[in-house]
Amino acid sequence: MAKEIIAMLLAGGQGSRLYALTEKLAKPAVPFGGKYRIIDFPLSNCVNSGIDTVGILTQYQPLVLNEYIGNGQPWDLDRLHGGVHVLPPYQKASGSDWYKGTANAIYQNISFIERYDPQYVIILSGDQICKQDYSDFLKFHKEKGAEFSVAVMEVPWDEASRFGLMVADENDKITEFQEKPKNPKSNLASMGIYIFNWDILKKYLEEDEANPESENDFGNNIIPNLLRDGREMYAYHFDGYWKDVGTISSLWEANMEVLDPEHSGINLFDENWKIYSRNSGMAGHKINSGGVVENSMLTDGCRIKGTVKHSVLFSGVKVEKGAVVEDAVVMGGTTIKAGAVIKHCIIAENVTIEENAIVGAMPTETEKGVATVGANITIGENATVGPNAMVRENVKGGEEQC
Amino acid sequence: MLNSNMSTLGIIFPNTYDALVPELVNVRLMASIPFASRYRLIDFVLSSMANCDIDNICVMVNNNYHSLMDHLGSGREWDLTRKNGGLHIYPPFAEKSAKPYTGRVDALARLLNFLRSQKENYVLMSDANIAANFDFNAMIQAHIESGADVTAAYNEQELPESLINSHSHDKGYYYTFGINEEGQITKIFVNSKETGVQNFSMNVYIIERELLINLIDDAFIHGQEYFERDVLLPQLNKLHVHAYKYEDYVARITDMKSYFDENMKLLDDYNLDGLFSGSPIYTKIRDDTPTRYKEGAVVQNVMVADGCVIEGEVENSVLFRGVTVAKGAKVKNCILMQGTTVESGADIQYLITDKNVKVSAGKEVKGTDSFPIYIGKSQKI
Repeated sequence: MAKEIIAMLLAGGQGSRLYALTEKLAKPAVPFGGKYRIIDFPLSNCVNSGIDTVGILTQYQPLVLNEYIGNGQPWDLDRLHGGVHVLPPYQKASGSDWYKGTANAIYQNISFIERYDPQYVIILSGDQICKQDYSDFLKFHKEKGAEFSVAVMEVPWDEASRFGLMVADENDKITEFQEKPKNPKSNLASMGIYIFNWDILKKYLEEDEANPESENDFGNNIIPNLLRDGREMYAYHFDGYWKDVGTISSLWEANMEVLDPEHSGINLFDENWKIYSRNSGMAGHKINSGGVVENSMLTDGCRIKGTVKHSVLFSGVKVEKGAVVEDAVVMGGTTIKAGAVIKHCIIAENVTIEENAIVGAMPTETEKGVATVGANITIGENATVGPNAMVRENVKGGEEQC
Repeated sequence: MLNSNMSTLGIIFPNTYDALVPELVNVRLMASIPFASRYRLIDFVLSSMANCDIDNICVMVNNNYHSLMDHLGSGREWDLTRKNGGLHIYPPFAEKSAKPYTGRVDALARLLNFLRSQKENYVLMSDANIAANFDFNAMIQAHIESGADVTAAYNEQELPESLINSHSHDKGYYYTFGINEEGQITKIFVNSKETGVQNFSMNVYIIERELLINLIDDAFIHGQEYFERDVLLPQLNKLHVHAYKYEDYVARITDMKSYFDENMKLLDDYNLDGLFSGSPIYTKIRDDTPTRYKEGAVVQNVMVADGCVIEGEVENSVLFRGVTVAKGAKVKNCILMQGTTVESGADIQYLITDKNVKVSAGKEVKGTDSFPIYIGKSQKI
């Protein structure tokens, strides 16, 4: 049974700029928004768009991600024909290779794609927070008679040189591609989301693989080759919320934006475009007498006896009496003990902040850092973690880490 | 669990005691009454069974069971979607002379062929009006060790006032036990009016499957209906019926007042931990977002499920999934079920709102501690 379109989700990235948060897990598995992981967004987008076959390309620290995806049931992707498949690199008769680049990762799974005999393949990225209707994107692709389309966002001109840019004519036909140029000719940034006609994609993947000089990368190799050959290439304009959460500050910022859907544009409360996730199964959260919760998001299993302001708390977070949590992202299972103060920071899963410890600080003129504490770490009593700290090991009581 | 002689089949009677909470079962049955902010009552007994590797479970629905069917689905959330065993929902067989069953004998008589074809050694029977994180394995172990024919669970508590004062036989039967030093049940009292702490039956029984089949076969032929009243009580001298004292946290729904009180009791951490610190309790997944507390929200002593948006004041209350409390609204001592909307300026106290109730802007509705006001499903005030 042929599928019209299947999705290939690039989830192998290490996310090295997230440091302590991605030591033990791949970037797409990083928790986000109170009860989600980053990968919930592209997966939910697929299901909500009617795409029921998704290959997830994993490579770096796949354990947490594999377990999280499981059989795909939380996203309704446990299907008889199709569904979700985790695709790590594997050994072949001719030897084995890690995925060398984004294009090579797809190349190594050509036989997976061919099982579904699709007309189109959509390439997605597992490190973006975005609600997007891929069926609308496909409609555009078909209407244009495109062989390749890329989703683009308009970015401010002064930031354009940080992106891969598509130069397009009035019919949205792409005429040029500039990778992080000094003198941008366009402000249409590639979102790294592509739709290919499968026959074209396959042809170019095979050609690219045969070239030993190639980096096997979509942006650096495949797209320039398509341009060289004058293929039908179009830019699909997307103007919804989109955020690459590749850095600590952008991850923190995106979480804070969830608290303000009226202005930020990321609305998780949309009944017509639900984001699905694997649930914690804990009881409802509890705010005790004396607890203060302002402008924050809480989820199942949280127990609040202290003060929580402008923060996102994940399942099972405990904030004890007298503790203060402000402008913070606190991931699942973490305990903030009595009198501890955490501000302007990201605390990963299952961390213990002991009594009267201080983590992070509100930004000042000179210091704007987001303090980050990795998973399973203990910050000892009366310890201090500075606003620019990246904590990967336990901090003993009374010690200071900057 | 590995294959063992402890293998047990679960049977749940979800309609028992419906008559005690007529308002709440207008559109549902006892087992699907929302409880503890994100659960339905059946989640507790079903999760407890699943957590004890009891994975072949029959739910003997009788009437008003659409909400329960919807809630249970294929049983996936309780890990009960299985090739062997899993969740079976048995509605009454619709034929010309079909009637809902009366008591457990009547119900089980309809299940005899199924019971004969199963392979489990034991059968565990339970109602669904009690929320407890029950370790059934401990009870099965106790049953095996005592060598009893039947083991019955009870807890020590006073009988609820409504049962003592205004209960009539047509609302069903409840039981208390007389127990000797060896832990054997020597007396079963039906609809007792005794005050003081009683050995109050939880209607949870363990019995060998073969014995159950024989007892039900015999009782059905004699036109009997109720397991305790008609089977156990007359044969206490012949059968060894052992008592199993349940000492962990029990929330038992026996009337509207107890429904209100048992929800409110969970605002005390000691009780909340008593019910939830054991094995996990599973429920239907709704994929709600986290709950959002907006600028200006003031909350004290509340238990809240996911998917709520709170902008007003909420105190001493239990909020189910997807509740909205608008700016300037005041909610105190309330239980607001799924999808309740409290508009701005509304002021409510001691209110139980069923699903999707809307309290319009500026409205003031106040019940009292002894008489909370109940608002039916989808009503608008």
